[in-house]
Formats: sequence, structure tokens, C-alpha cells
Amino acid sequence: MTSINRVEFMIERTIPASRGEVFDAWLDPRVPGNPWNAAENFIVDAKVDGLFYWTLKGTSHYGRFTHVERPNRIQHTWVSPNTLGLESMVTVTFEEQGGHTLMTLLHSDLPDIKEARGHDGGWKYFMAIFREQFGTGSRKQYRWEDAHPPVAQ
Amino acid sequence: MDQLTDVLTAIAHPTRRAIIGRLAETGPTRFLDVAKPFDTALNAVTKHLKLLERAGLIEREKHGREVMISLRAEPLQQVAGWVHEYEPFWNTQLDQFERYFKDRNQKEKKENKR
Repeated sequence: MTSINRVEFMIERTIPASRGEVFDAWLDPRVPGNPWNAAENFIVDAKVDGLFYWTLKGTSHYGRFTHVERPNRIQHTWVSPNTLGLESMVTVTFEEQGGHTLMTLLHSDLPDIKEARGHDGGWKYFMAIFREQFGTGSRKQYRWEDAHPPVAQ
Repeated sequence: MDQLTDVLTAIAHPTRRAIIGRLAETGPTRFLDVAKPFDTALNAVTKHLKLLERAGLIEREKHGREVMISLRAEPLQQVAGWVHEYEPFWNTQLDQFERYFKDRNQKEKKENKR
């Protein structure tokens, strides 16, 4: 069996609110920006071993909460067709920073899609993202369809 | 520096990313046409092109008097492993999340002033 390389990335934002507020807002589907707010349909049970399900543009995502530690950390698995059905991990941490909150999102254990989809398909896919995100010199609004071409069977 | 570092440096600046995006769309392009969309001095564009060239992302070819600049996208493959499709998704989500709090705080400030 061929193993797939795993990749990860980290994103930080400083949010002008207390850690508790930011933590609660991340789990509140009414607040724009968290994954549940973006969903067309969702079920979320934010406790350790609680499960979530949500869909965006018809793509289903599933996961299991592994850490829910207010106001420090939320961690859950993340599975979708775009992880090739493999379990990846999302860890969100909240640190106090001068009255604001430094929020760090680490998405790890992601399969290297380029490799998994084959050289040519992965390359075309990457260039599509690159043009969409960077082509004009500034980030454009993200479009789910552009970044999620159908997976070749 | 290794080539990956050169490539990451090359794509770290929005003007250079815009040049790459433009060349990807238009194919081989004259220097002046590459520089045209940017509100910056020609020698600044030249410096950007040198960095892109050092990273192996562009190549120049003389056609008579004209120098044509083309994209060599292959080195970007090295970066592909560093960027996953979920990265732009989370960036957009977190931008919205941050904006929600900023808007809320501004609204609260306005209401407190009244």
C-alpha cells in the first residue's frame, strides 16, 4: 500500500475580544466566520467525543471533538472527500494578548492532495488556486467551487 | 539559498504574485506590458523580475529588439506541498470572524457615545 504524505498549515488572527468571548463565538453557529455558520446544514455537539456534520456546496464534512477546553483550545478531527476520506486534525488555540485574543488555527495531517491526485491533476488544481488567490496581487473572495475541482476517479 | 526559499521569497510580494498571475494568463509578454498595470517605477518592476528570475519562475527571450518574458511555472510545484486547498477556506472564514468582532466593537463604541 502506498502511503500519502501529510501536510499542515497554520493561520493566526488577533481578535479584539476576550478569550472566553472568542472561544464561545467559534462554536456559535450565529457568528460569521466559524465553519458551522458557513454550513448549509449542520449538526454540532461540541464536547469531547461529540460529533459534527456539516455541508457546504453539497460537500459533507464530519469530525469528532477531541479537546474542548474553554477558553484555551478546541480540537477536532476533520474528514471530507477533500481529505480523501482520511482523518485530518483542526486545532484552534486562544491566547490572551494585551486584552485581545491571538487565535491560531492549525490544520494538520492533511493528505498531500497534489500527490494523491497525481502529478498533472494536482498541478492544474494548484495553479487554479494560485490564480484565484494571488493572481491580482490581493486575495479575492474564496470560491469553494474553484478550490474543489471534482476528484478524478 | 535553496530554490524553494527563492520561490517562497519570490511569491511573498503581491506585485510579484500579480506578475505571475498575469504571465499565466497572457503567456509571453513584452517587458513594458508586464510593467504597465503597476503603479510603480520601471526599475522597481525590474527588481521584481530579477527575483522571479532568480527563483526560476520566469525566463527572458530576445525577439529582435523586444525582450519577451514568460512564466516558468514548474518551480511553483515545490510550493504546492505547502499550500492545501483548505488554507484559503480557513483564511476567508477567519477574516469574517475577525471582521465580526471589529464591527461589533465599533457599533458598541458608537452606542456608548450617544
